[in-house]
Amino acid sequence: MTTSQQLLAAATLIFVGAVVQALLALKSGSWKQTRGQFMLMTLGFLLQTGFIYLRGQEVRQCPIRSLADILVFIAWSVVMLYFLVGSAYRLSLLGLFTAPLVTIMHAMAFLNGFAPYPPKGPVNALVELHIALALISYASFALACITGVMYLIQERMLKLHQIGGLFYQLPPIQGLSQAIQRLVRFGLLLLSIALAISFALHLPMTKTGHVVFAWIVWGLYAVIAFLMWRHFTSPRRTAWLAVVGFILPFISLWIVTHA
Amino acid sequence: MPEPTDNRSGLVCVGLNYKTTPVEVRERLAFPEAQVPEAVQQVRSLPGFEESVVISTCNRVELYVAHSLASGDHGHAALRDFLVRHFQLQPEHAEALVLYNLDAAEAARHLFRVVSGLDSMVLGETEIFGQVKAAYKTALDTGTTGRTLNKLFQQAFTVGKKVRNETTIQRGSTSVGSVAVDLAEKVHDLKQCRVMLVGAGEMSRTCAQSLLSRGAKSIIVSNRSYDKAVELATEMKGTAMKFDEWEHSLHEVDVIISSTSAPHFVIKPEQVDQVMRKRRWEPLLIIDIAVPRDVDPAVNEIEGVYLYDIDALQAIADEGRRERERQLVACERIIEEQLEKFGFVKTTLS
Repeated sequence: MTTSQQLLAAATLIFVGAVVQALLALKSGSWKQTRGQFMLMTLGFLLQTGFIYLRGQEVRQCPIRSLADILVFIAWSVVMLYFLVGSAYRLSLLGLFTAPLVTIMHAMAFLNGFAPYPPKGPVNALVELHIALALISYASFALACITGVMYLIQERMLKLHQIGGLFYQLPPIQGLSQAIQRLVRFGLLLLSIALAISFALHLPMTKTGHVVFAWIVWGLYAVIAFLMWRHFTSPRRTAWLAVVGFILPFISLWIVTHA
Repeated sequence: MPEPTDNRSGLVCVGLNYKTTPVEVRERLAFPEAQVPEAVQQVRSLPGFEESVVISTCNRVELYVAHSLASGDHGHAALRDFLVRHFQLQPEHAEALVLYNLDAAEAARHLFRVVSGLDSMVLGETEIFGQVKAAYKTALDTGTTGRTLNKLFQQAFTVGKKVRNETTIQRGSTSVGSVAVDLAEKVHDLKQCRVMLVGAGEMSRTCAQSLLSRGAKSIIVSNRSYDKAVELATEMKGTAMKFDEWEHSLHEVDVIISSTSAPHFVIKPEQVDQVMRKRRWEPLLIIDIAVPRDVDPAVNEIEGVYLYDIDALQAIADEGRRERERQLVACERIIEEQLEKFGFVKTTLS
């Protein structure tokens, strides 16, 4: 195992630790956002960053060209957005919901293996920016998906009068609904910029699989954002759309990296 | 089993609370806030007394004193005489006065329990923490505290915070009013929350007051008797509305509290369904306190509507109380550990 992979393994263990700690605290009924929990997420993020840096050194380019690397990059972006969104919306439990997804992404990256990259020509900064923005937009959709799960849990507890431990920890559904909308819009904006860059790169859309899929994902989230904006559907349904919608970008990653 | 040590023998507490003394006596023995600074000085100036703190709330009056008397009993007697004299109690009232007299470790344990909300009428309530803090500050500012009481009260605040941080004694709602607030907080940002009272019963008034005290944005009151609606709206700085008009404003509010005496459903699914479309699916919390119920239960099936009737609210409040009672053992354990840590009690090997 290389040093970079050792860092990633350590990050994975830290995120597992964050989940276990939060679950135990939730079970005992005394969960609250602790400095320890925040420190675990920060440490995990730093280790992820260390992995991306070392991996970049190994492959001599931005490590976003294999499925394993893409998964780690998205997981890193998810944690980064969690730090931005979690505090902005006081979504104190977002870390608990984020850490399992990040752990799964790391595990899938390990299962897929970190193969060496084939030699390539000089680095094109626009191409790197195009890919990085697209992946950060996917991370935003991932966080919208996680927030959607939180919304659906809280909404169900309110509807069925199940007022228990988790109910007191989760934020108000209106706040969650707003967070979903903003994450979808933010992701859509980043993906739009990434796709605009693809025009500048003169990438033929029909011959570039990942751009085609990116357009499909863009179309899906454009529809979701429009439905949310015009209030054509209830917040519960839009939460479902944010959760189910993330399946498409997730699958598309697989397809484009194996095509 | 912990046993008391003698290192704080100069500490006594004399007091009465809602468990020992009925309200008609308590109200006679309460120190008005403005008179507390004078009272702490009077207590401290009693012979043999070196430090004093007076806690006076609607549920308790307690005097904490550090003294250099021969025994705690002398301190108890002197404090009792002070209360009788200060409040000019008639002999028969003085005779009937029931006080608890606590020394050293018992006094510290009692104060730790009070600060933690374990001795409160509503178990685990947090207001008492602030009240004790204010009482201590008054004594501190007046200059009637010294080494013993400063240390004791600082320790008490540490224990109070520890109990709240390490247990869930303050979590959950124990009254219908606080359940309503908790629910509203989990649906909306309370500061943006607009409330409508349909019917002006006592319990709906309590719920509305709880919501307003926690920052609800505005209130509309609609009642069959318009005068009563105006009266209540004025009291709550809200708006009164004629009873035949409330339906037209349903889409403008986020929380509806209904408590009419109508023998049939006043709020029906078809009305709410239309309202939700107008509201663009913004969530709506409906609290139905009326018996017979005002709101058709089918309303809860509508997307984005959360309906709670009086039984549902009561069940949540009961569960909140049970949950707090379950936490009592853990709270008492923390207090005993802290009493030991601060040297009030020592643990025997047995």
